Amino acid sequence: MATSKVSETFVVPIGPQHPALKEPGHFEFTVDGEIVTNAYVRLGYAHRGIEKGAEGRNYIQSLYLTERICGICSHIHATAFALTVEKLAGVEAPPRAQAIRVLVAELERIHSHFLWLGVAAHESGFDTLFMYSWRDRETVMDILESLTGNRVNYSANVLGGVKFNVDNEQADAIRKGLEFLEKRAHHYLDVVINEAMFLQRTRGIGTMTRNQAEVMGAVGPTARASNVPRDVRVEAPYAAYKEYPINMVLDTRGDVEARFVVRIKELFECCRIIRQILDTLPPGELTTRVPRKLPEGEAVMRVEAPRGELFYFIRGNGSDKPDRLKVRTPSINNFTTVIKTAVGHQLADIPMILSGIDPCFSCNDRMVHIQNIHKHDENWMTWEELRRYGIEYYRRIRK
Amino acid sequence: MKLGTMLRDVTGSLFRRPVTEKYPFERREAPQHLRSLVKWTPEGCVGCSLCETDCPAQAIDFIILDRQAKRYVFTYHADRCTFCAQCVISCRQHCVRLECDQWELAALDKSPFELHYGDPADVEKALAGKTK
Amino acid sequence: MNITMTIILTILGLILFTAALFLLGLAYEWVNRKLLALLQNRVGPRWFQPLADIIKLLAKEEIVPKGVDSRLFIGLPIFALAGGLTAALYVPIAGIAPAFSFPGDLIVTIYLLSLLTMCMGLAGANTMDRFSLVGATRTLTQLFSYEAPFMLAMLGPAIVAKSWQISVVADYAASRWFILTQPIGFLVALIGLMGKLELPPFDAPEAHTEIVAGALTEYSGRGLALFRLGKDVELVIGLTLVAAFYLGGVANPLWFLVKTLALLLVLAGLQSLFARLRIDQTVGLWWRFGTLLVLVQLLVTFLLQRFIL
Repeated sequence: MATSKVSETFVVPIGPQHPALKEPGHFEFTVDGEIVTNAYVRLGYAHRGIEKGAEGRNYIQSLYLTERICGICSHIHATAFALTVEKLAGVEAPPRAQAIRVLVAELERIHSHFLWLGVAAHESGFDTLFMYSWRDRETVMDILESLTGNRVNYSANVLGGVKFNVDNEQADAIRKGLEFLEKRAHHYLDVVINEAMFLQRTRGIGTMTRNQAEVMGAVGPTARASNVPRDVRVEAPYAAYKEYPINMVLDTRGDVEARFVVRIKELFECCRIIRQILDTLPPGELTTRVPRKLPEGEAVMRVEAPRGELFYFIRGNGSDKPDRLKVRTPSINNFTTVIKTAVGHQLADIPMILSGIDPCFSCNDRMVHIQNIHKHDENWMTWEELRRYGIEYYRRIRK
Repeated sequence: MKLGTMLRDVTGSLFRRPVTEKYPFERREAPQHLRSLVKWTPEGCVGCSLCETDCPAQAIDFIILDRQAKRYVFTYHADRCTFCAQCVISCRQHCVRLECDQWELAALDKSPFELHYGDPADVEKALAGKTK
Repeated sequence: MNITMTIILTILGLILFTAALFLLGLAYEWVNRKLLALLQNRVGPRWFQPLADIIKLLAKEEIVPKGVDSRLFIGLPIFALAGGLTAALYVPIAGIAPAFSFPGDLIVTIYLLSLLTMCMGLAGANTMDRFSLVGATRTLTQLFSYEAPFMLAMLGPAIVAKSWQISVVADYAASRWFILTQPIGFLVALIGLMGKLELPPFDAPEAHTEIVAGALTEYSGRGLALFRLGKDVELVIGLTLVAAFYLGGVANPLWFLVKTLALLLVLAGLQSLFARLRIDQTVGLWWRFGTLLVLVQLLVTFLLQRFIL
């Protein structure tokens, strides 16, 4: 634990408990004075075993389990799961249900981007923007509560459709709320582009060229801010995105300011789509019948979460419980970009770079299965060795 | 490049009331479609117990005392419930619905969270059967 | 007998003065936090919150971490608070004439306030914690950058009043408001005060989203309470200095309250409008704009004094 005073380089640990992180994750930055020379990340603090949990529950129960992988993108996880199950079962939800799914997904995107704006402003010390954007976020949460009955974890989806309908009164309330949100979003765009002291913290920080973004596999607004035209809603439209197409929002600069600009401009796109859906909601029923026992086979679905491309894989084995559920969330792709772009920046820029990718640590903790260990490495343990280690450890500390 | 772009927000707030809701002195009404506690009515129930199978939180214990005579007891653990309303969808006879006005559900002990729906005599019998 | 009575009365007076200063400092901290909250459209703390914080901190266990010089660890907060309180003896707090006054006490006051900041920097350098080390570096870097412009800005009125004694300058300032005749100096003094008190946007030394709590990360309990009291006392003294020099002196308690609270309102407004600056940007800002502006101001004042007045 001794720091070497001679060369003045030492390791600053960020996390797992740190005021900069809203969720646990561990970063180690080797610092020389204030300049970062090396970075290292370790995740896995929010692993809850959801993929294993899904194997013991039937498809209907697993839907609600996947909703709780993340708090801010809960609806899109549930939508992805429902779409994958419907693909496996070979049914398609009715058009009104798909449109309502997209409506709630875009409202959730608005919520997520307002939340992120506040958090990123807080990381840079701009507490006023934090307080105001979170005040405006309450409007969209109230809209979602009046639609679905809950402010977070909306439970809007069922396998085969949605649970609730949208009537004219609710549509008017949504339109009124959207007017307010759009006005505020224009104001925040003005602040983010013009505020001199804020620009000193965001312009030219964490720049990632298009080539770097493509090689590291960045997804979502992080990649789009580096001019990588990758958006699942445009490339592989799902649910109702064929009827309500999205315009991709790109920016060429690739620094933290560009990520701010991309996300706020996406807010305008969301408002436009929601208005379009409310004006032209297709009539029809809300659900279609999905059998309880799904056939054997595999199904794969990609959706666009507020943070990037979300990928679901389900393997069915003919029973009413999934054989294997695999989730690949967008944040895990974007962490590599933090490690690579942090080197050379100052310690004070690290929270901005980290919050620029919109990290969602709860989403991305998955288990990786390593088969066929040919060489015994002391960093790896088998299940039996782990059990023995745990028993010895507690015996030792109890003495 | 400007300085102080949030000046109008900030000076405006000085002359307006804070936006904070001073709970518990000011309480907002529950929204129209709030998802609150589960309620079960025995009319129409056929005893398929799909509500129990499909509940993701295992908050429902559906006890069948007599299938021929349609005597059922619906035990609901409100502290496990996630208010997802899947039971409402799963029940094809529309026996289950969610309340929409009560959102202050906190209590100091567990007793308000164990709710038993059904004929009182049946409920007694079911509880007696459990404790044996 | 007379000498012992005098000694006892002096000590009693000092204790009462200290207590009153603590309460005044806590009240000013509350006003600052409440104003900041109202500007951000939220409710803010109740009036006894800072007092409750100090009482709670005094009641908590003080943990002395490993690898630290424990005498320094426990002694530095006491030194810091003592420095701040001693500086208050020369400043016209609450509009009452200072307890002690001698030519040159402007330098001594500013030095004692810097003693407070230096003790905080040393407290951070004392520990083995990475966050405290980075915070200590930043505190001392910031001390070196704003100290010169702030000092020179305080010197502007002193040059016109032809004295380095605070009470003389304050009395002289009662007849003319230096904010009108030396506006640039006032601006630098105000921003310098924000740097001295480590208020946003100059709170890089205690940037809690980057380095937890900066130099004071390892402190808890009594040590933290003493540091916080020191900061509150510094707030009152700084406001009194700037108000006494630039806003026409503090003749009586009512004027003191009005002027210092008006200044606090402006400070709270400036705090809420800007994002935090990185430490290198702070240093750059101060050594380029701050020093340049105040030197221009001093030159103008000096020339006007010499050749016109």
